[in-house]
Amino acid sequence: MAADFDRIFNPKRIAFVGVSAGGYGFANEMLSSHLKMGFAGAIYPVNPKGGEIFGLTIYRSVEEIPESIDFAIIAVAARFVPETLEACRLKGAAGAEIVSAGFREAATNEGADLEQRVKAICAKGIRVVGPNCFGIYCPESGLTFVPGPDLSRTPGGVAFVSQSGGMSIDFALLGRSLGLRYSKIISLGNGVDLRETELLKYLGDDEKTKVIAMYVEGVEDGTLFFETLKKVTAAKPVVIYKGGLSDAGQRAVQSHTASLGGSRAIWEGTLRQAGAVQVSNLYEAVQTCLAFSLLPIRPYRSMAVIGGGGALGVAACDAAERFDLAIPRLKDEVRDKIDLLLPKPGSSADNPIDVANPYVAPQTIAEILREAAGDERIDIQVLVQLLYHYKSLAINMGLASLKDITPTAILAEGVEDVVAKTGKPVVMVLPNHRQEPGELDVEEMLRSAKKAFLERGIPVFDDLDEALRAIHHVARYCQGL
Amino acid sequence: MDIIAKVQKENRNVLSEYESKLLLAAYGIPVTKELLVESDAALASALQEVGYPLVMKGCSSEIAHKTEKGLIRIDIRGEAEAKAAFGEIMAAMNGAAGAVLVQEMVRGQRELVVGMTRDPQFGPCVMFGLGGIFTEILRDVSFRKAPLEKRDALQMMGEIKGKKILEAIRGMEAADLEALAAMLINVGRVGLENATVKEIDINPVILSKGKPVAVDALVVLI
Repeated sequence: MAADFDRIFNPKRIAFVGVSAGGYGFANEMLSSHLKMGFAGAIYPVNPKGGEIFGLTIYRSVEEIPESIDFAIIAVAARFVPETLEACRLKGAAGAEIVSAGFREAATNEGADLEQRVKAICAKGIRVVGPNCFGIYCPESGLTFVPGPDLSRTPGGVAFVSQSGGMSIDFALLGRSLGLRYSKIISLGNGVDLRETELLKYLGDDEKTKVIAMYVEGVEDGTLFFETLKKVTAAKPVVIYKGGLSDAGQRAVQSHTASLGGSRAIWEGTLRQAGAVQVSNLYEAVQTCLAFSLLPIRPYRSMAVIGGGGALGVAACDAAERFDLAIPRLKDEVRDKIDLLLPKPGSSADNPIDVANPYVAPQTIAEILREAAGDERIDIQVLVQLLYHYKSLAINMGLASLKDITPTAILAEGVEDVVAKTGKPVVMVLPNHRQEPGELDVEEMLRSAKKAFLERGIPVFDDLDEALRAIHHVARYCQGL
Repeated sequence: MDIIAKVQKENRNVLSEYESKLLLAAYGIPVTKELLVESDAALASALQEVGYPLVMKGCSSEIAHKTEKGLIRIDIRGEAEAKAAFGEIMAAMNGAAGAVLVQEMVRGQRELVVGMTRDPQFGPCVMFGLGGIFTEILRDVSFRKAPLEKRDALQMMGEIKGKKILEAIRGMEAADLEALAAMLINVGRVGLENATVKEIDINPVILSKGKPVAVDALVVLI
């Protein structure tokens, strides 16, 4: 049956079944996390023993809750799950997340049987996430995972559906620190009811979701998944991390085609065919989502690269080739104007533009970006800033603090202005090659610099290769449209 | 398809080269002109029909690797040569049920592979890649789920590392991409419309003046 997703992701009244007045169980942690997240709706803890928890009355049963509920978080022992779910359904819940384990994944007859009973209740009209999952994280409503008392409440456009609970919380945490903001993250667990394809379709239609990421190990119906994916990618990007790829090698096959057609080759071909962006690890997934969230979706081809050091230019050219990007020669008049701005000697106005030293004034950097954007061949600019070198400057100047001499705010404002005026995006690369334990000041400075750029909608990466790979994914998605 | 029913009736799950090509040809896939000859008496008319130069191959669903077993003679240019080859091949099949396939010799230096495999998640998937001995050595192939649209077929051809083989190189004509795309789409149809077909190898597909021709083929049933 169709799900009332609005009541599932933005519930007004939730039952927390399985909390206890004493001790520190899974359910209590779940409840505590929601309180810390500031979930604004009504919360009804449930335990047969009654009592109080965190100042809230514990109801002895779901039936005792004085109002109807929208959603339930179920963390009771597996054997009590079916009756609990049925009680929640009768109490009006549109959905429930079952975090309890001990179902199919336990590989016991009892577990499999319990899962079938849950499935039968779902068929009567309640939609279930799980069991054996971390649940739903929705910054807008304040729903969160078990280990997520301090996830961000600032909503954004990235959704993530994961067949691994650990991956869902890791994506939430890593993504936040790298600049992602989420519409919702769903940990599917065993996927007894709500699964990848239906959620993909929902997120494809969800106006709050601009980019969808998925961690997939296997799909229930390959053809339906493929067709849904194809439709959704026509409207918005879908980034897929497929876990557990293997070569067919061992299967008993008689043709070369079948022996070459392992899951790796088939998934790669099928995902490309459906217009999805395939990534191969969590970092790449997050970085790709960052590019999709902050860059205009265009078929980027030609870049201006601005940075310091000759080898950087070479590295940029090598990486560009790998990711189907070009670093074209700039028009003579553009080149000449940039040359006038550069410190001498040691600099080069030929793309990649070598600014010669890491202390070039941010106003000058902004001017260089502005001039380079004036060349119509340039689609996008990549600015590599070695801000960690300000530490050397601070030491030589005898300064105690690095922050005061690192012009991150002016640089960020300058870049933002260039992007706004020229309409051509700038991607920042801020590496850190000072990572000794005594250099936390560098780390702190870089984190605040990163924040300054991200707040202005400018994507930041630690590494040039990763930045170009993310741009490549956006360009390639666009070419598939 | 009748040919599939016939093979199943005989309790076999592998189609001979000849049977495989009958199935593929029924889906509009260009195959070599060929005739199956079971006796000396039928040989002469087959030679005339196919024309020289020609290729003779031992054809039996019981024998998979014809080259290794010495069951292939190529570039046969006259009747005496053909008769001798016929006798040798029949003897080399060593009692396995079979006949000799008299086949036109397709000239072309570029060998490709086209295939189909039934993936447990995605169903029939079509493969394209470098053919001949390079299929196993370089494993330079790409896949698409059937049914394929023309753009899928063109995209998968552009995805292999050796894609330049399709261009006009070293005096050879550029591959007819339309014909290749049609071949890929049609191999997908064979998989979609015949649930009992488990695997297909068409290897090599030879580019003859740029046009693809299925020169050898293997169809495996479930």
